[in-house]
Amino acid sequence: MRFNEKELLCISKQPSEKAAELGMRGPKKGDVVKRRLVKLVINFLFYFRTDDEEPAGALLLEQCKVEKEEPTAFSVAFLDESEKKYLFECESSEQCQEWVESLTRASYESMRRSLIFYRSEIHKLTGKVSYLLFVLLFFF
Amino acid sequence: MKLNERSVVHYATCDSPADKTGHLYKKGERNTAYHRRWFVLKGNMLFYFEDKESKEPIGVIVLEGCTVELCESMEEYAFAVKFSCAKSRTYKMAAESQASMESWVKALSRASFDYMRLVVHELEKQLEEMQTLHSLPGTAHSHRKSSGRAKSKSISAAAPAVVTPAKEPQATYNRSHEETVHFTPTSKENGVAWDKPNLVVNGLCPTYQGSKTLPGKSCSNEGAKPPPVPPRRKTATGGVTSTLESPVSPGTVCFSKLHDWYGKEIAALRTQWQQDQ
Repeated sequence: MRFNEKELLCISKQPSEKAAELGMRGPKKGDVVKRRLVKLVINFLFYFRTDDEEPAGALLLEQCKVEKEEPTAFSVAFLDESEKKYLFECESSEQCQEWVESLTRASYESMRRSLIFYRSEIHKLTGKVSYLLFVLLFFF
Repeated sequence: MKLNERSVVHYATCDSPADKTGHLYKKGERNTAYHRRWFVLKGNMLFYFEDKESKEPIGVIVLEGCTVELCESMEEYAFAVKFSCAKSRTYKMAAESQASMESWVKALSRASFDYMRLVVHELEKQLEEMQTLHSLPGTAHSHRKSSGRAKSKSISAAAPAVVTPAKEPQATYNRSHEETVHFTPTSKENGVAWDKPNLVVNGLCPTYQGSKTLPGKSCSNEGAKPPPVPPRRKTATGGVTSTLESPVSPGTVCFSKLHDWYGKEIAALRTQWQQDQ
């Protein structure tokens, strides 16, 4: 499947919500833990080999499940192959927790759910569609 | 650069909601002919398939940071998706009708993660504001008791609008407030005109009795501001029923101020969105 790599590279260089050096292990049998600079930008998780300017790879964080595995590790698995997990090792349990929270919110789908939630909460309060919501509904 | 392709393909073809689907012509990179493809927009990812029945997309365009422009082309209903990064490719597309083109241009312009994030953030703030307002004493069950009071408010509101504009709003307001009984015909009119933001807003302001402010004036200013989007009525009405009996403490919950604030938020949001085009 083709994808616009140049634009993705550009995105990988943007300021990120979250970046840290973590231990990363691929989902395949026989994959070992390697140190990677892991960087979250919008709904992509990029991973760089230390000192590389360009990422070795990117994970689109849609249709995925993020779980805490051990006190200081979390996994990312995609729903089409949920047994195959990418494992990330953190320095501390706090860091691990922060990553899990950030990654869970980092999908377009999760934002869509938030949108629907806020919309319905506002609707409950006003009884009618508010000004801002109408603008959004108009756009959406 | 590796991409978790298999999972991305799954995302493209799974039953998660698509923001838009349809046929478009896409200009090839090397082969400059336009090819008809089936497009599926999900969030900030634009997938394209050989045809509607295909099991897997041919490719995907990550739309983050793109701008969508109409372009001069031999093809009718043509538009282009451009990126700001160096040496990036411009995707030339063409729709099958004017309506389709407009709809796609609109959808693609808004298809960024950043835009969605902004929208969600604004809604979150709005909800917080509303929750704060609603937690103030007297607001909770107010609108149920308000019908009687609402009429008197609307009657006094009617006065500035109905009576000659040349008169001072304040004077008019005072007079109307005293002579509420005489404005019965106006109240009916006002009953009809209840939807109109001017009157509604004016209706609210007189709650703050004894206030030296010129509610008529401020509210008519409010009315003078053209909204970016037509249906203020629904909002105004909705806003009225929930804030009608707000505590009599000028400056905190006057609906015109609330409306003002939302108006500015919308204007800012719109400017931001237009700048992002």
